[in-house]
Amino acid sequence: MNIEATGTDPYGSEAYKDLFRVIMSDIGKGILIDEARILLRPEVPLFIFSVMLKAEPDNKTISDAASLRKEGDNVFITISDERYAPDILSQLWKRYTRARVDQQTRFDIVIEGADTDEVADIEISSGEETKKEILGAVWRSMPEGIRVRFNQTDGRVLTIMATEEIVRPEMKEEARKVHEEMLAKAREAERHV
Amino acid sequence: MFEVLMYDGGVYRSDELYEMIEDVGGTVIQRTRSSQMLTVTMSVPGEDRPMVEKLCKELGGQVREVPLAGTEIAVVGPTLGRHHMPHPICDIAEQLRQYGAISVVMGLARGRGKATSQISLEEMKVIEEYDVAIMMLGNFKPCIESKTHLFEKIETPVILVTGPMPEGIDDLCEAIIPGIGRKAERMRTVPERAKLVEVADTVMKVLGNKRKLLEEDPLFVHPAELKQLLEEYEPISMSLRPAPIVLHMDGLRVKIPYVENKDYLDNLEVYGRRLSEVARITPSKISDSSTIIRIMTESEVRDRDMQRTEG
Repeated sequence: MNIEATGTDPYGSEAYKDLFRVIMSDIGKGILIDEARILLRPEVPLFIFSVMLKAEPDNKTISDAASLRKEGDNVFITISDERYAPDILSQLWKRYTRARVDQQTRFDIVIEGADTDEVADIEISSGEETKKEILGAVWRSMPEGIRVRFNQTDGRVLTIMATEEIVRPEMKEEARKVHEEMLAKAREAERHV
Repeated sequence: MFEVLMYDGGVYRSDELYEMIEDVGGTVIQRTRSSQMLTVTMSVPGEDRPMVEKLCKELGGQVREVPLAGTEIAVVGPTLGRHHMPHPICDIAEQLRQYGAISVVMGLARGRGKATSQISLEEMKVIEEYDVAIMMLGNFKPCIESKTHLFEKIETPVILVTGPMPEGIDDLCEAIIPGIGRKAERMRTVPERAKLVEVADTVMKVLGNKRKLLEEDPLFVHPAELKQLLEEYEPISMSLRPAPIVLHMDGLRVKIPYVENKDYLDNLEVYGRRLSEVARITPSKISDSSTIIRIMTESEVRDRDMQRTEG
């Protein structure tokens, strides 16, 4: 994760760069972030946090994180992405009850009397949910008293502007500028891929 | 000369330690038991210290000096929120406990924000019950410099702990310790541990100044002596609270309700005087279940006596 922090208070800028990194890692969202730009002006006060994700979070189904095969009436699941193992298990329990779901090893699950296509399409993670969690993490890293916020989300770029009392048009304008720059960067990176 | 020590060990044979403290004429300042572990803060005569230390080692415990024993310190953050409260505040409070102080962690109701932060009169009065207050502020210099109203009117000595070094506010507090600020993880690295030691050393220095003043004009009765007298009172001896009496430099916090025990406390005999004549006894501002006793200095008592005879 590449973090760039600029501001009028050198100590605060450096400290917030570390805070942002630690908080993102704490809640396990650090790996989703490609780049972050943090603008800190405590004397105004104006804070802009812009985050570029590695990819736009989308809805994930079981087939995205596991391979499936049918043997007789049973469906065998082998989890390939460990991050989603708890979500897969809880969704299966919800749909088929614990009695029909047998977790044989950490990554192997057998479901009695299920249809492969139906299991493959079960949603285990929503993109909106991931975005909300990242947004929550950014709010958590911002100073507590800075509560008036303005959010912008486009594809894989999220920008949050915050101040203490009145949001002035020039503050929004500045946030939009940062957001556009990050979007342009994201498009540029996609073109190279 | 009495020396304050802390025993850290098991409860096994701890009654022998209590007997020895009593035999040498010492006193137990604080006793904290957690399962089979025991921490005893005691005050013993200097000449008997080797004997007490020997017994502690026999019991399998450790003994160390605790320079902040007999003090109660508040570590105050702008709010109880996760932005302000955890990590540095808890680390500082824990460090002070290692030095023998009773430390409490406190958050203001509306202390967040550069332009909107506030402290209420009640909050100030609560903080003033402690020997020293440590005020934790964050990482931005302009914010720290604009938040001086949170601590400038507090009468208890205030030590300001911040990230960057603020300018122009040195006169508003006893000491400023920069280099900590807001953190999202525990203070584990060597420089961070050194900072915690610096905080404890500064507290010792600030309390040393207060102690010097008390040496020039001593209290009518030492808080530890008063504690011994109060321990015999049944509501205190039967109290299940972990520390029913907490020593302050100039008095005590007694964890019994003031209203219900007013008569006993007012009329307790201390060196031939009623306690209410030599101390200010008030209910605690934190809750009605505690009472604050502030012992007057000898000159204050004399002055009061003179005023009474003249009146």
